[in-house]
Amino acid sequence: MEEIKNALDFSDFPRLDLIVVGLIAVFLLVFPVFPHSSFAMATMIQFLMFSIYGMGWNTIGGYGGQVDLGKAQYVGIGAFTTAVMLIRWDIPFWFSMPIGVCFAVTWSFIIGYPLFRLKGHYFAIATIATSLVLKDLFEVWDLVGAARGLEISPIKYIPPDFLRLIFREDIYYYYVILGFFFVGILYVNWFRKSRLGFQLRSIKDNEDMARSLGINVHLAKVKTYAIATAFVSVVGSFHACYIKNIEPADTMSLDISILIALMAMLGGAGSLWGPVIGAGILIPLKSYLKDWLGAQAGLVGIDLIIYAGIIMLVSAVEPKGIWGIVEKVRRRKRS
Amino acid sequence: MAFLEVHNLTKTFGGLKANDDISFTMEKGELIGLIGPNGAGKTTLFNCISGLHPVTSGRIIFDGKDITSLKSYEVARLGLARTFQVYVASGDLTVEENVMVGCFMRTRSPSQARARAYEILKDLNLHDLSDSMVSELTVAAQKRVTMATALGSDPKLLLLDEVAAGLNPNEIEEIMGTIRHVHEGLGATVMLIEHVMELVMKVSHRVIVLDSGGKIAEGDPENIANNPQVIKAYLGERYVREHGGEI
Repeated sequence: MEEIKNALDFSDFPRLDLIVVGLIAVFLLVFPVFPHSSFAMATMIQFLMFSIYGMGWNTIGGYGGQVDLGKAQYVGIGAFTTAVMLIRWDIPFWFSMPIGVCFAVTWSFIIGYPLFRLKGHYFAIATIATSLVLKDLFEVWDLVGAARGLEISPIKYIPPDFLRLIFREDIYYYYVILGFFFVGILYVNWFRKSRLGFQLRSIKDNEDMARSLGINVHLAKVKTYAIATAFVSVVGSFHACYIKNIEPADTMSLDISILIALMAMLGGAGSLWGPVIGAGILIPLKSYLKDWLGAQAGLVGIDLIIYAGIIMLVSAVEPKGIWGIVEKVRRRKRS
Repeated sequence: MAFLEVHNLTKTFGGLKANDDISFTMEKGELIGLIGPNGAGKTTLFNCISGLHPVTSGRIIFDGKDITSLKSYEVARLGLARTFQVYVASGDLTVEENVMVGCFMRTRSPSQARARAYEILKDLNLHDLSDSMVSELTVAAQKRVTMATALGSDPKLLLLDEVAAGLNPNEIEEIMGTIRHVHEGLGATVMLIEHVMELVMKVSHRVIVLDSGGKIAEGDPENIANNPQVIKAYLGERYVREHGGEI
């Protein structure tokens, strides 16, 4: 009971924040009612997806301070589990999604257990490596369609198919992912006040101190890594049904991993709203850049340069991102 | 059987013997001071007892259990808490949250942890600082917060590593009050590493002296203050020769 109460309790935020959050929530709920282009709709869905990826990353990367640059491997596990199960055995999304989470979490234990012996940059590099290795494996694995990937053909189904998550209009996808988005916010709101959340923040602060307070640092990291993985895998499964055409080179690329981390870092690692703010800035930027640069072939790839610039800017100016700046200003006002 | 027994504890780092064959026992309710010149191996001894360093040889028995090979979080869960000499905080936690981390060792519930943290902070007269960031506090306040955090886990034995270092006389007086309160009021068994002699000599029941990794003396504060070997360790051979072992 206390868990549910804590998840719904946002009272430690100032009233201004709650009003802004409320307005944004209402906007998200009614957005599809207004006239909008399909481009805007696609951007909104991407924004929600990356917000959830970022929320997941934020548990281990933000609250725990363990910078993970390999989240794309879990996007891949979720996406390919759902796609393979749907195409080969006609298992619907709502069954394959939890199975995908099980696979992803199992994999996260297998690589998390040894990897968390590493610290800081070494850990970050190791996560990149495992993610790329898994991508390469998927590219030669026939069951998951090898390098060509898999295509969910919508012709075989009668949309709207809520069980399999096959729709013709994006609005259905929008509300499904919006539901996950709200659940994600509530979960992280609970997490940051839970025992595990506090333990992680203590680990980020000082590991020896955390140990001396009875915290099994390694286990706490592995557990939280699994939570982060579950978030990413769920959206990965959704991604398969939404995009319908998935290949390892896209779904599991390094770009995705970096973008996921970037959402949270730009918005504010270790804060509830950080990933949402980050995704709210980066996803529209990414979509418009792609649209605009796509026509000018010579400039393809410049978005990566921009991301790299943002990473450097954030780490040099304010490691806690945009939310860190907001909190700093507030502290100054109070004192 | 004593509350804490350390038998022939040796810890080497490469060729350096940081702790050399140290043995002592401690009874429940005691307050022991651990002194010695810089580099004597005091903090290493704390690190070995609290499980942060694996010991090279020897045995440590706490409350009837052999804790020699336990990890530090396991030792902590048995009721042995400690503070750190140098407090490095990245500044993400407020005072209250910091103490709550300690309280979470005994409870899963955030509201219980918060209530317990409030009690401790009030008890140590720190509740005005609840919402401050630990990194923004004075050194003196930070040291008291680390004590409060350690107390959050309801320890049976508390190891304090230089809680008075770098404090002014007023602050030392204040922290001495806090130590006494923790010891007498809350009934914790306390062992403290300290360079501030007026504090050690005033509060300790018994003092253990380390020098170059080995135990050179043990006894009540007055005996230790007049022990030629201890004076030699602190002031050097020549001083003792010239003053005949008397201060």
